[in-house]
Amino acid sequence: MKTINTISQLRDIKERYNKTLQKYDYRIYICSGAGCVSSNCAQVYDTFVNGIQNKGLAGKVKIYQTGCMGTCAVGPVVLVLPDRVFYTEIDEKKAQEIINTHIIGGRVIEEYTFYDHSLRKHVPKIDDIDFFKRQVKIALRNCGSIEFGDIEAYIASDGYFAIHSALSGLSPKDVVDIVKKSGLKGRGGAGFPTGVKWEAALNQSGDAKYIVCNADEGDPGAFMDRSIIEGDPHSVIEGMMIGGYAIGANMGYIYIRAEYPIAVERMTAALEEARGLGLLGKNIFGTDFSFDIEIRIGAGAFVCGEETSLMSSIEGNRGEPRQKPPFPFQSGLFGKPTIINNVETLANIPVIIFKGGEWYSGFGTEQSKGTKVFALAGNVVNTGIVEVPIGTPLGDIIFEIGGGTPGKKKFKSAQIGGPSGGCVTTKDLNVITDYEPLKELGAIMGSGGLIVMNEDTCMVDTARFFMDFIRDESCGKCTACRIGTKRMLEILERITRGEGKEGDVELLIELGETLSETAMCGLGQTAPNPVLSTIKYFRDEYDEHIRNKYCRAGVCSELFISPCENTCPANVNVPGYMSLIAAGRFIDAYNLVRQENPFPAVCGRICTRPCESKCRRGTVDEAVAICDLKRFVADYAIQNEKAYSHDIVFPKNGKSVAVLGAGASGLTCAYYLARIGYDVDVFEEHDTAGGVLCYGIPEYRLPKDVLAHEVLLVEQAGVKIHLNTEVGKDISFKDIKSKYDSIYIATGTQLPQKVNIPGEDLPGVIHGIRFLKKANTHAPMQIGCNVMVIGGGNTAIDSARTALRLGAKKVTVLYRRTTDAMPAYETEIREAVEEGIEIIELAAPVRFIAGKDGKVCKVECVKMRLGNFDASGRRRSVLIEDSNFVLDADMVIPAVSQHADFPFIGKDEIGITPWGTFVLKDDTQMTTMEGVFAGGDVTRGPDEVIRAIADGKKAAVSIDKYLGGKGKLNKGEFIDIPEISDNDEVVAHARFEQEVLDPETRKNNFDEVIKGYHKLNAMAEAMRCLHCERRQ
Amino acid sequence: MKTKSVTEKHCECKECNEKQYSEIANIIDLYKGKPGSLIQILHLAQEVYGFLPLDVQIYIADSLNIPLSEVSGVVTFYSFFSTKPRGRHTIRVCLGTACYVRGGKKIVEGLREKLGVDIGQTTPDGKFTFEVARCIGACGLAPAVMIDDVVYKQVNVNKLGAILSKYDE
Repeated sequence: MKTINTISQLRDIKERYNKTLQKYDYRIYICSGAGCVSSNCAQVYDTFVNGIQNKGLAGKVKIYQTGCMGTCAVGPVVLVLPDRVFYTEIDEKKAQEIINTHIIGGRVIEEYTFYDHSLRKHVPKIDDIDFFKRQVKIALRNCGSIEFGDIEAYIASDGYFAIHSALSGLSPKDVVDIVKKSGLKGRGGAGFPTGVKWEAALNQSGDAKYIVCNADEGDPGAFMDRSIIEGDPHSVIEGMMIGGYAIGANMGYIYIRAEYPIAVERMTAALEEARGLGLLGKNIFGTDFSFDIEIRIGAGAFVCGEETSLMSSIEGNRGEPRQKPPFPFQSGLFGKPTIINNVETLANIPVIIFKGGEWYSGFGTEQSKGTKVFALAGNVVNTGIVEVPIGTPLGDIIFEIGGGTPGKKKFKSAQIGGPSGGCVTTKDLNVITDYEPLKELGAIMGSGGLIVMNEDTCMVDTARFFMDFIRDESCGKCTACRIGTKRMLEILERITRGEGKEGDVELLIELGETLSETAMCGLGQTAPNPVLSTIKYFRDEYDEHIRNKYCRAGVCSELFISPCENTCPANVNVPGYMSLIAAGRFIDAYNLVRQENPFPAVCGRICTRPCESKCRRGTVDEAVAICDLKRFVADYAIQNEKAYSHDIVFPKNGKSVAVLGAGASGLTCAYYLARIGYDVDVFEEHDTAGGVLCYGIPEYRLPKDVLAHEVLLVEQAGVKIHLNTEVGKDISFKDIKSKYDSIYIATGTQLPQKVNIPGEDLPGVIHGIRFLKKANTHAPMQIGCNVMVIGGGNTAIDSARTALRLGAKKVTVLYRRTTDAMPAYETEIREAVEEGIEIIELAAPVRFIAGKDGKVCKVECVKMRLGNFDASGRRRSVLIEDSNFVLDADMVIPAVSQHADFPFIGKDEIGITPWGTFVLKDDTQMTTMEGVFAGGDVTRGPDEVIRAIADGKKAAVSIDKYLGGKGKLNKGEFIDIPEISDNDEVVAHARFEQEVLDPETRKNNFDEVIKGYHKLNAMAEAMRCLHCERRQ
Repeated sequence: MKTKSVTEKHCECKECNEKQYSEIANIIDLYKGKPGSLIQILHLAQEVYGFLPLDVQIYIADSLNIPLSEVSGVVTFYSFFSTKPRGRHTIRVCLGTACYVRGGKKIVEGLREKLGVDIGQTTPDGKFTFEVARCIGACGLAPAVMIDDVVYKQVNVNKLGAILSKYDE
């Protein structure tokens, strides 16, 4: 090929190439980014090539291999032009079908196109896909849309035009000025203004200068730079040429890490192409500017990403950093003035020169111009490469472009900046991705690696992981880093092993601050960042690991038996009872559960099962039915009446405790205290014990006789329950305080939260918990024909399903957010919908309208949309102006949370929080009043039963210690658990099902909806347990 | 530094050894003039020889006329360079959390027994290098073991024999 010397030659190539594109009926672009390469895109490419050839269509259909298109999670991906249809997860078989059906048959195969999980549908055209819509591709302008291996494709996209215009009409200073005007900052992480850096080198005198491209990209989780090199290598070459011209360098080096052989291969080929056309080498474009580039390969040292280490490595030495000053632009590679730029920075240069600095400065924020490429990885749906204008809110990148966290797991934090960076939590999701705002949060922009972490991530373990990496990569030159990272790692490892000591966190902070102030290079200086950042935002987790030897995420396996047991607030020995059920020892299983939870029959029906969300079986097929199996053994025990004959109660110790409230929490506390010898009196204002279990939960979920049975067992342990006794009326709090040695307050949340809109007091409007109480006590009540329930929690769904059963013709649930954001238990929502209940999402009531008879007859509502993120990581719902609409409703049940009230005690006598719960002094659950403890919903607002039970158990321990005991509970006889003999391969199998009443049968009565397990299915289900408690 | 000639090198196969040394000599000739080419030379030499024992380092140092300490310093700094022979196949046992609680440690014990070497070492016959990996992201297949590029899922001690025998030569 001829040497290119003139602009018209470039133009000719461009025109010719673009004309060639036109002549094809179809152009098929196969992504050959690294992700797709690992997914065998080569086979897909071959299939297309051979397939088209075999059909004789080679003249009409052209197949190209491009760089990364960005959707790395669903590769191999294929883009078909001119239709712009985007196919994902293509294999050889699908490729053949695309040829037959789409290319030849002219019909798009929608099932093979991109699937949007948020919208729950396929989106065939690439321009309609949300993942791409918000992106602005400047550095990635050619990535994924041109053939990386053909320089003519690059020229056809205005490639090498910029260097030409620089050489033919601009002085080096002009070039520097354009770059300065653009506002481009270094994209490697430090964010130093590129133009300013170049200017310094330009003004530096020297007989030789160098420009170096840093393609060492060592951050775990960063794969942006490789995508640029592998997808658009010429953009980097041209960027370096322009840089070389600007600063006065004739030689450039590209330092590529050894772990990127594909990048080395493609860049080598690109350089040869460029040389072949005379675009590299002597007298480029006929000017006296000569420039060439050499590739230098790293050898597996993260520190070589630091510029002075990098230069040291190019010089063939150990990659140890040097002191700055002198800065590289003064004395760098081989002692000469050198500029080192990141790959992404250089990739932006040609288009900045071509379109002008002003154009580029139109993107981004006041302080930082342009766009940034991010690599999204971790617990995010759309893993891959994205490019957005600087200043895009982080939450938008993670949720709108990234698609949020997969499955039902909640977002926890995002790590930006890799091992030098910090985490951003749910409360800062609206932070704009810009250098300063991120720095203020304790994070950094970094090179662009963005790792999303969900609730199953332990932040202490994450800090340990990064510190382990950094310690391994520390070059060892300076004491601060060499020893500091090691010591910090030792402390973190101890903490994750359960050997943390009081003062460890303070020591980590001290070491970290010292290290960042005294280390010689950026690696050491930023090494403490992940640790300090996680300490700042997740201090609780550190404290839990150290003081309570507890890992809430269920990761630090030396701290727990199994993830399920660890997550259970009451720490029930789940794998233990799985083994016992599988062995047919149902009563023993029941007793094992009862050691930690005195309400297995209740919980087996209504627990929200946090254990199942952590069950590792879920990664194979589906979580084990831990909760349903608990119900099975409890029901078995009730039927067989053998369970409680073994209960041993310690002899009386002469001390007495009063418990206020016979709900789950109060009864649990009473039960455990009675078993270790205390005299316990429970005071309950209603005529039946159970609290919410009795008055809130409908009978089709929890039959009264089941509850009564478990209450009876509590009484049989020696607890005296005084019904119809209201504290503050029938007996004063003062009297109780004088008669009893200690008190446990567990009075729950009695009062409904108001919606606070006009008409709330109209007849026909009744709040959820009041409605449920009336229904559960069979009080006479008029049910409307057209019932509307407001809210999305369990009370709302319970109210809706109860209203249906009491005779409502139509029941609607109005919720301000979307269904998947509803706090109610998923199965309940599903069963409600099966029963014909309608859920209206994104709507809120504005006022209740009365009819002629003065009763409610309509509800005026307004539509909502999802706005910015709130502190829980969910989007706020924002009302849409003038979107009001009216719905008929002759009965309205607002169920929007409850709060507590305790009239029996003065608000000035005891510490109360701003939201009406008791202030608990410390971990013991004692209130600010000496000897008075509290637990359950009254301390936390409406929450799960199992947590209330856990509180009761914990309070029993605290009360015993307070009254001079050791705090050791009487959990009954030791139950030996059979050894696990199953070492066979795990075979996937869906859950064994329980019997459930069908919707038609169940929706007009209060019969229990779930009938329970058949014995054999229960045993089989228990055998699905993976026994994560197994150790050596 | 005494220069050892190629023919004095000790190796199991003298012929191969000679061939390798002469290839290394060629590489050095190619890159000798370029400043900072040591790392490049070491990469290529390792490709030829398999690893970079002291003898090879001495040879390279002599040929480039630089101190052995410099060559050695570079070899030991970068993780890509190995002074010990690597096996033809690399076994990586995943000890990420999911694999760990599913018995990853037992597999490590089992492999120690079967291979007769510890973590980080290579079997005497040069077949396997035994390593542990942090997490290879195949948690649904726990406990996982990677041999070269292949991921073996749900491995247990009983299956190790069958898996290793696939690599019988």
